[in-house]
Amino acid sequence: MTCWTRRQFGCLAGAMCIGALRPKTARGQAKAQVLVIGGGVGGATAAKYLALGSEALAVTLVEPKARYTTCFFSNLYLAGLRSLESLTHGYETLEQRYGVKVVHDSVTAIDPVAKNVSLEGGATLSYDRVVLAPGIGFKVGAIEGYDDAAMRIMPHAWTAGPQTRLLREQLESMEDGGVFVLVAPPDPFRCPPGPYERASLIAYYFKQYKPRAKILILDAKDSFFAQDVFEDGWNRHYPGMIEWLPVQFTGGIKAVDVKGRLVKTAGDTFKADVANVIPAQEAGWLAHQAHLADQSGWCPIDPLTFESKLQPGIHVIGDAAKAGNMAKSAFASNSQAKVCAFAILAALTGSERFAPHLFNTCFTLLASDDAVTSAISYSADPETIKVNDFFLSKIGDKAETRREAVREANGWYAAFTLDIFG
Amino acid sequence: MPGDSTAVSATAGPRQSAWSLHQIIALLLVASLVVAVAERGFAADNDQGAQLAATCAACHRVDGHDKGIPSIVGLSEEQFVTLMRAFKSGERSGPIMRTVARSLSNEEIAILAHHFAARGKETQRR
Repeated sequence: MTCWTRRQFGCLAGAMCIGALRPKTARGQAKAQVLVIGGGVGGATAAKYLALGSEALAVTLVEPKARYTTCFFSNLYLAGLRSLESLTHGYETLEQRYGVKVVHDSVTAIDPVAKNVSLEGGATLSYDRVVLAPGIGFKVGAIEGYDDAAMRIMPHAWTAGPQTRLLREQLESMEDGGVFVLVAPPDPFRCPPGPYERASLIAYYFKQYKPRAKILILDAKDSFFAQDVFEDGWNRHYPGMIEWLPVQFTGGIKAVDVKGRLVKTAGDTFKADVANVIPAQEAGWLAHQAHLADQSGWCPIDPLTFESKLQPGIHVIGDAAKAGNMAKSAFASNSQAKVCAFAILAALTGSERFAPHLFNTCFTLLASDDAVTSAISYSADPETIKVNDFFLSKIGDKAETRREAVREANGWYAAFTLDIFG
Repeated sequence: MPGDSTAVSATAGPRQSAWSLHQIIALLLVASLVVAVAERGFAADNDQGAQLAATCAACHRVDGHDKGIPSIVGLSEEQFVTLMRAFKSGERSGPIMRTVARSLSNEEIAILAHHFAARGKETQRR
């Protein structure tokens, strides 16, 4: 080609003009600004796929912590099967490979009219879209006496990191023959199999080092996810060690006495040597502050885009979202983050939108060589998200199937964290 | 193509240059795109194959490693389609993959097959 024709140049100039006009950007900035608030599984995944999807977006991730410890697999740390460091991930690759700007600060307020957020450090960031992934908060006053100070004595360990380490230290210090009390929360809560996997893997630890210890689960519910599979596992691996008391038996968990390490139900008081209190949950604090949560405590969203039904321009993903029948899990958050990212890319860059696919998959360990799996596909419509297809391991699976699932679980952890942070 | 031209040299004055303004603009545009890709280490990828493949990446490593969970990068289109059909029908066991396969249309499976086969060729070239 020796020379551009006037028509060719016209096309080029036109394309450049369209490029300059689109997308609609915050305060006339060159690129559309997307702020992702919260660097957990949902937030980090959204930031990566937004940056990966288009060069026309400037993606900023706001997260106070320098590194993130995954809640999933933290029960393996409690069992002594993994280090906490192996569950901890940084944001370097998101910054260096994908060009996400990572700001280590806390958001104090979101102004949906001015379209900006205020940071604790004093800065104000304007946005075209926000993705909020605030995770869970705990319902204050749900259990009398269980406050911030009590959490340092009776850890919840339901956000991973120092709380998980504290629980592990207490378990290590407990004498053989001691009683570990686990208070399990009412629905809905983060990771439905989590409390029962925790009981299983703490039993795995006790069986080796404190074989006379007992585990008592005081549940706010009358049944739990995959109950028959768990109870079968407990009978096979830890006969007589784990006792589960449903709310119809106890009348509900009412209060804790931190000094006496007591957990009080409607009818009885239980003395614990180590107590793990997992309280009732709701969307994380910022979701409430920004008026994104409804009376249920969770954030209603459009199932096809995860845009808030209460505040346009703000998308809520992960545990905080009220996503129909989707479980609150890391896998579900990752799946939602991708659907949300593609919807935002379509809205801001005009890229094509395809039918969303939402999944949840879970590997749950009953012992070091026994994992159960579950897989759920969902279908989303403008109203809600429904279960499309469901699989769960069964009692009587071959031992080799369960062993293979442990190998798959470890491979999955590596691949999944690479998908989020790598 | 502008790169084919031999008329530009260090000593060539503006009067001698065979480069048109349009060619220079085109070259700058291409160069800026190359720089943008080089800085980021990847090209923006948001087509249907990439959007569907994002689902797979939650379990299958896209860097070709396959510890614990088999790699799907580099499977031929035929291999991919045959495997997915076998999972879908239940002929091949694997409950998680069965759930995934059953949620995908045949057209989506074909798009994914093409995406991962192409991705495999890219990985081999590196």
